Amino acid sequence: MIAQQLLNGLITGSVYALFALGFTLVFGTHKILNLAHGSVFMSGAFAAYFAVLNGLPLWFAMVLAMLCGGLVCYVIELAAFRPLRSRGQIEFAALIASIGANLMISSLAQRISNTKVLRFPFGTFPVQFYTVMGVRISLLQIVIVCVVAILLAGLLFYMYRTSFGRQVRAVSGNERAARLLGVSPNVVFFQTFFISGALAGMAGVLIGLSFNSIHFLMGEPYLLRAFVVVVLGGLGSITGAVVAGLLLGVIQTLTVAYLPTGLSDAIIFSLLFIILLVRPSGLFGSAITATAARRQ
Amino acid sequence: MSFAAYQPLLDFFLLSLGFAYSQQVVLRAGVFSIATPAFAALGGYCSAILVQRYGAPAIPSVLLALVIGGVAGFLISIPLARLRGVFQAIATLALVQIVVSLAYYLEPLTGGATGIHNIPKLVNTWHLLAVVAVVIWFMYVLSRSGVGRAFDVLRQDEMVGATLGVSIARYHALAFIISGALGGLFGGLQSLYVFTIEPEMFGFAFLTAVLTYIILGGPRSVLGPIVGTAVMVALPEISRPLAEHRQFVQGAILMAMIVFLPHGLVDGLEVAWRQRQARRLDKEDREKRRAHAVAGP
Repeated sequence: MIAQQLLNGLITGSVYALFALGFTLVFGTHKILNLAHGSVFMSGAFAAYFAVLNGLPLWFAMVLAMLCGGLVCYVIELAAFRPLRSRGQIEFAALIASIGANLMISSLAQRISNTKVLRFPFGTFPVQFYTVMGVRISLLQIVIVCVVAILLAGLLFYMYRTSFGRQVRAVSGNERAARLLGVSPNVVFFQTFFISGALAGMAGVLIGLSFNSIHFLMGEPYLLRAFVVVVLGGLGSITGAVVAGLLLGVIQTLTVAYLPTGLSDAIIFSLLFIILLVRPSGLFGSAITATAARRQ
Repeated sequence: MSFAAYQPLLDFFLLSLGFAYSQQVVLRAGVFSIATPAFAALGGYCSAILVQRYGAPAIPSVLLALVIGGVAGFLISIPLARLRGVFQAIATLALVQIVVSLAYYLEPLTGGATGIHNIPKLVNTWHLLAVVAVVIWFMYVLSRSGVGRAFDVLRQDEMVGATLGVSIARYHALAFIISGALGGLFGGLQSLYVFTIEPEMFGFAFLTAVLTYIILGGPRSVLGPIVGTAVMVALPEISRPLAEHRQFVQGAILMAMIVFLPHGLVDGLEVAWRQRQARRLDKEDREKRRAHAVAGP
């Protein structure tokens, strides 16, 4: 039984990781906490839903969701964060602006969906189960793990093996120095926000498929969990986000299964609070993130 | 009588104003805390449980709500003194989530997801008006005192404050205590006013509403929250489209304010007026000097 719980936890966790990757990428590179990330996630799910409804194949809907998520995220950057950037200290202002963007996008989605829960038509994804060594796993779960693994590999390749990725890392290290060396900040901003949104959009489709429910507030619980993932893994750390995402998935599944209902959230957020106090750099964060978090 | 039609609106405004001050105090002192919903929930459940379960009278239960909020604020300020900036926001957001999920979990005490209903209505408009008047007076005195100036210094530059001998930890703790006490007090009043309390009332919507009041009004002046809260409460009443798209309008206001008027309406206008004044004085000064130079010694 525990093996089954662990497996379910790891699969939930892989989606948490996918969602949190984009969140941590933007925070690590630009020190912007994008609270509209949940609505980007939701807009990806909406895009896929309408694509499937119009008879497009699911794989194409997924690509469309990633494009849509990326675009929405970039529009948020243009409208909310770019005007603030010239002002210097933007931490808090960006937080407020992204809350505003979140409200606007989710109320648009509420209008589109008439506050109803949208469901993929029956048979969008074949319901199939396999039993391997006494553990049941569905085809959807296998696909989720594969998609997350492919996207993660792509992101790592992009960040550590291409010139674009080097530019992004240069900006995250020191934006002024990178600019002096000829890195165009606007190009970097476009890339990080687009990638961040695309990952969130895909996470939206995967969650929409696995619970078969898409609604305008679906991003909120995932955003709150992304905070836990990102702080636990260390802000801005890709490896950290993946490990912490998987860990959170397992913790959540186990607490839901073996503890009284309702206590799971209290435990998860207490964990977040304690990590912030004891080790603000997280599991994989560098000393730099620790000094950024702690008061001098 | 036309006043009666607007009375619920006035009551809502007064309650929201209390929460707005609770949020403003911490922002004024330069703490990025968004813990007001947590304080409000603590105070609200405190007075609701005391009055509805144990038949306690209103005044002691509301006072106890105030004390619980203040103590919670003090306790939270100790660990939060180690964090800065956005990390304080994340930590206080975690606190709100912990309080809300405990409200769901502790069902025998809080009624779980359904909450507590049939709370006797012991608070009316006059009570709210009296309490709000006291709070405004208190905030005014505070802003005129050394404490208010210390808060202003800490908000603008902690380093300068520290070198001037302003204890960061102590004043941030004070800001948290006041914020917690106000949040608890108005949470307590609210549950004795609206008959019911449930965990959902203290979610993300509450948090964004309270933040909007302050971003719109301004984090510094006493008048700021009054203007911000009044505008946000009145907007849906002014026209139907504004009411239908309330969330959208709220989001647009947040974004526009933070981009174009980051100090809020009241503080922003005050700053603009002072700058104009300074420029005029500067101009007069320069003209005087030029006249002096032309006339020769």
